[in-house]
Amino acid sequence: MLTKLTGGKVYDPANKIDGQIRDIYIRDGRIVERPLEHEPVNQEYNLSGKIVMAGAIDMHTHIGGGKVNIARMLLPEDHRGDPVAHTELCRAGCGHVAPSTLTTGYRYAEMGYTAGFEPAVLPINARQAHLEMGDTPIIDKGGYAMLGSDDLLLRMMAAKRDQNAINDYVAWTMHASQAMGIKVVNAGGISAFKFNQRFLDLDEQNSHYQVTPREVLNTLSRAVYELGVPHPLHVHGNNLGVPGNVETTLNTMAGVEGYPIHLTHIQFHSYGTEGDRKFSSGAARIAEAINQRKNVSADVGQILFGQTVTASGDNMSQFRNAHLGSPHKWVCMDIECDAGCGVVPFKYKDQNFVNALQWAIGLEIFLLVDDPWRIFLTTDHPNGAPFTSYPHLIKLLMDKTFRNDVFSRISPDAQAMSTLASIDREYSLYEIAIMTRAGAAKLVGLHDRGHLGAGAGADITVYTDQPDREAMFAKPDYVFKDGELVVKDGQVVKVTWGATHTVKPEFDRGIEKEIKKYFDAYHTVNMEHVKVTDQHIADDGRGRVQVHECKGRREKTTA
Amino acid sequence: MSALTFTLKTQPKQSVDMSPITPDLLADKSLAEIQAIPLQCGNQQLRADALFEITGSDSSQLVIHSSEKLNYLGAKLGLKLKSGNLTIHGNTGAYLGLQMKSGAITLHGNAEAFAACEMAGGLLHVHGNVGDFLGGALPGNRKGMRGGTVIITGNAGDRAGDQMRRGMILIEGNVGSYCASRMLAGTIGVMGKMGVYLGFGMRRGTLLLFNSPALSPTIQDCGSHTLPFLKLMFKSMRGLPSKFAQLENNRVRRFAGDAAVDGKGEILVFGE
Ligand SMILES: [Zn+2]
Repeated sequence: MLTKLTGGKVYDPANKIDGQIRDIYIRDGRIVERPLEHEPVNQEYNLSGKIVMAGAIDMHTHIGGGKVNIARMLLPEDHRGDPVAHTELCRAGCGHVAPSTLTTGYRYAEMGYTAGFEPAVLPINARQAHLEMGDTPIIDKGGYAMLGSDDLLLRMMAAKRDQNAINDYVAWTMHASQAMGIKVVNAGGISAFKFNQRFLDLDEQNSHYQVTPREVLNTLSRAVYELGVPHPLHVHGNNLGVPGNVETTLNTMAGVEGYPIHLTHIQFHSYGTEGDRKFSSGAARIAEAINQRKNVSADVGQILFGQTVTASGDNMSQFRNAHLGSPHKWVCMDIECDAGCGVVPFKYKDQNFVNALQWAIGLEIFLLVDDPWRIFLTTDHPNGAPFTSYPHLIKLLMDKTFRNDVFSRISPDAQAMSTLASIDREYSLYEIAIMTRAGAAKLVGLHDRGHLGAGAGADITVYTDQPDREAMFAKPDYVFKDGELVVKDGQVVKVTWGATHTVKPEFDRGIEKEIKKYFDAYHTVNMEHVKVTDQHIADDGRGRVQVHECKGRREKTTA
Repeated sequence: MSALTFTLKTQPKQSVDMSPITPDLLADKSLAEIQAIPLQCGNQQLRADALFEITGSDSSQLVIHSSEKLNYLGAKLGLKLKSGNLTIHGNTGAYLGLQMKSGAITLHGNAEAFAACEMAGGLLHVHGNVGDFLGGALPGNRKGMRGGTVIITGNAGDRAGDQMRRGMILIEGNVGSYCASRMLAGTIGVMGKMGVYLGFGMRRGTLLLFNSPALSPTIQDCGSHTLPFLKLMFKSMRGLPSKFAQLENNRVRRFAGDAAVDGKGEILVFGE
């Protein structure tokens, strides 16, 4: 079966195609070279006048795992308020800020997204996360396994174990939790919280293990690099939301000895202490540092005004912010000594000084970072806003008049503290395609996604070029997933099931003896039961594991 | 004009969402329009006239012959119109009078859980018993009933007045456990007996009791008093169709709690 997409205006940054008219051919779910003249085209879509991009990739979105379920349980009103009836194709669901799994998949696809990555897969909860993602239709998915406040790593570090042993443990964890990357959340801080520490700065010791966040970051970023994992260490920094944390963030960038790191939802980590209210934008300094340090990438974690829920492994910051929650109810908990979890509903208000400035800080970062290959479009769904607000966010980036119009209506005190109105930059379609496709695929390590060259999976989104970018990105004309038409005119027309992307770095299996001993002594479950196998993911015939290449174990680097 | 009357043709197999059938929503509708109103019954939608025999025309004096399969009867009553009466014969399901704002609901029968849930005003008069969470909040919400008057001639289940924050609940019969739990403000009277954990997590508000309660250690005895304000409260109850309208004696034993939270709730026990 050969499908031809004819005459669309193609934006494919990975292949340096910037708005040229191209034909695209699809066979067996993959994009292929132009076939020979005599080969019959079975199906043709005339895309003249349309915009064609690869399917979008959300490289940081909370769509599975314990904390999302806790958010769902905490917010029955979110489900009552947004019921989705079943149709002939789609099953029923509900939820605006914490939608059900099925609704999540349909909504992503209807927005032209074909992949989403869950950034906080606790190894002990990996099965739950994969089961939920396995229940999320159409889109591809994957996860980053969370380490850094787990008892075993901190024990190993406290015992000054050799980096190679730690690398083996990290690799074992990635296999066991079927992960695409490693994430660290408030390095060592989730653990420190349980020993009654309420703040933990970069060089402050966890009082129990005598290990500092800087040491954890160094150890893990080095492990990820040496294992050849394509996705750099995914870092949720220390002191989230604390005024003045811009210093911590800059120190974090400087502190990893040049190893690649990705700083997630950096907006929440870019706050200064200037002004009457001791809360100011650190965006310019953060953007400057990202522009200079080529080993650093970031996603923004933009906040948008309205009701949402924050769900994070960072129990320390969630406990700190619980009293700000709206509606006033919250959850903070330990999870099997592996990590922690905090869920706090939030309502961001444009007339609230802090919220309005957070909004402006996020946009400043987007606009001041020069290289769209190293900055990514996220709201840290649902922490800054639900993912369904992406088209609105794209419009804010692409349309200066619209942006300044919204800016002129936010808290005047926040306006006075922001340089946003003086920034003229407008993102181009090419740059949006980098941020949401080519760059995201490269960052995550997906060799066959995010581009439209021969050999790529045929995940393709087709839009009508409209001056109103929000309307344009909210409702694509066509979305193809692995070559199948799944969305037409912004509506699901076919329900398929995507792959789970993973990496499987090589490691010395000898480490398992030590891990098993640890599980036998301290854990509530058997080590073997923690491992999520390919079979578990493929079990019901809907899922499959796609393993991406690691560069091969790199020789031990010297710091 | 005779009252617009809905009579169940047969007992529905699944529960029915009756929130579209209120005096407010039927005010400007013709009989044909009313007959065609879609009602959610389990996982399917049925026309109103598939479920009910519909007679009469005065929608401001609505009468429904009900069963316990009918939920959300009288929901949001009086939200658009200031007046409107709903009289129900037979038992009802859950969420009777959900978020009602004005007007009156009179039930001749029993109601299930969450009667008067998040009620804001008006009168809910039940000649029968009600289930758990009378005057409570929708699951997940933090504030229950916030105004109006509820009179129950029979008994109420557990958690009566849970998270209640204003208004009056008068129960002439018994009440289950956790009465006035997490209560924020308002008044609850109970003439009969109470279950355990009365006033659990009670922050403020007033309980009027006629039997001595078993109280937890975080609710403290403050001694016997003659409270002049009770005379004013009794006066405000005079016109109500309830035994509470006849109260005279303002000598009470006063308890305060729950000290585990704010502890400003007062539990007044008559005849001690
Ligand atoms: Zn996140």
